[in-house]
Amino acid sequence: MTKKVLVVDDDPDVRLFNTTVIEECGYSALEAENGEEGLARVKQEHPDLVLLDVLMPRQSGIRLYRELKTDPALAKVRVVLLSGIAKKTFLRSQKALTEFGGAAVPEPEYYLEKPVEPEELARTLKQILG
Amino acid sequence: MDIRKILFVTQFEELWFDALQSLLDLRRVALEHVVFVNVIEREKVAMHRGTGYQKSEAIRLREKANIHFINWAEALFEQGLEVGVYIVVGSLAARVVEAAAKEAADLIVLGDRKREGLKQFYAGEELAEIVRRSGVPVLLYRYAGARHEALPPFQRPLLATDWGPASANAVAYLRRLRAVIEEINVVHVTDEKQLRGDSAMTIQKVRKTERARLDALCEQFEAEGIPARAHLAVGDAADLIVKTARQCQATMIVSGISTRKGFGTGWRGGTYRVIADKTDLTTLIVPVPAIDEGR
Repeated sequence: MTKKVLVVDDDPDVRLFNTTVIEECGYSALEAENGEEGLARVKQEHPDLVLLDVLMPRQSGIRLYRELKTDPALAKVRVVLLSGIAKKTFLRSQKALTEFGGAAVPEPEYYLEKPVEPEELARTLKQILG
Repeated sequence: MDIRKILFVTQFEELWFDALQSLLDLRRVALEHVVFVNVIEREKVAMHRGTGYQKSEAIRLREKANIHFINWAEALFEQGLEVGVYIVVGSLAARVVEAAAKEAADLIVLGDRKREGLKQFYAGEELAEIVRRSGVPVLLYRYAGARHEALPPFQRPLLATDWGPASANAVAYLRRLRAVIEEINVVHVTDEKQLRGDSAMTIQKVRKTERARLDALCEQFEAEGIPARAHLAVGDAADLIVKTARQCQATMIVSGISTRKGFGTGWRGGTYRVIADKTDLTTLIVPVPAIDEGR
């Protein structure tokens, strides 16, 4: 069965770029424009991997990542962060949210900084999905 | 209504990150989410004779805004705040109203775009359109003094009341902010026409009645733990509100207005714009709830 990758990014150009690379790698691509829509699609479609931007309207990737990793039903979904926001910031924000009374979440397995080369993205997808 | 989500609208010239930082004391009440909005005005990228649509210019402006927003967002994310961003092309008022509705924002923060003549008139129209169409309180932010300091505006507000529904809404809005308000001053400006009478006693009765209403309003704030002081004035509303703000060293003027259509330049429709023009202080415009629309 074809593996599914969900791209969550508010920029349509980035979504087009990512979905093209995903499909060229032989996977099926799904899209969402923000964290809220991304969470709904994860619950509906059960993707094998989420390619997640951080800075988005409605709900950021930081909150969506937290929602995924603190929900036992969704915690196993693999996530690659792909953002212009520094990894250090992402980790500090998760730490701050944990200190404000939230649950601790694991560090993301992969954190890619935008813009990413198609070869680098393809290599990351294959490493994770085979 | 709590201020959970702020829409921070900037063109980068009139409003910088320090202005937002001066509002972060609102975290003590409810603030948890900041949404940045940059509107690339259509005229900057529109079709031009001989060049067509300036796509590369649109991309350049978008990425320039993105660089600023990423920098600012990182600072907020690290404090545990939620951050969002809109970089859109179009007319300022329409795009801001759209983003405020999508995000269900509790406060819109705008900068003061210094303009002259007709352009200033249109800037006032933009502000009026945003207030009327969004139904969300709008903070017209201004830096303080010659050094352009970004002072926390909610510390010492001056509430200008006309006893109308918008003023009542402004009172309800401010009463929830006791954790950030150090002291509130309340002013009511009576129209000189109300002072007609055959004797001094008739005029004094007007003063006594208005003063009693102001004192009752101050008691409402004090019941919430916010020290409050009343001011009664007679004459031109906008002029006296601005003078009272100076007198009590207010950090902001709060004005309730009606969102109902058909109000022109009267107290409800136009005074907040006149105040905004006359003062160098930050102005908070609180509209009445949407339910009042068209009543």
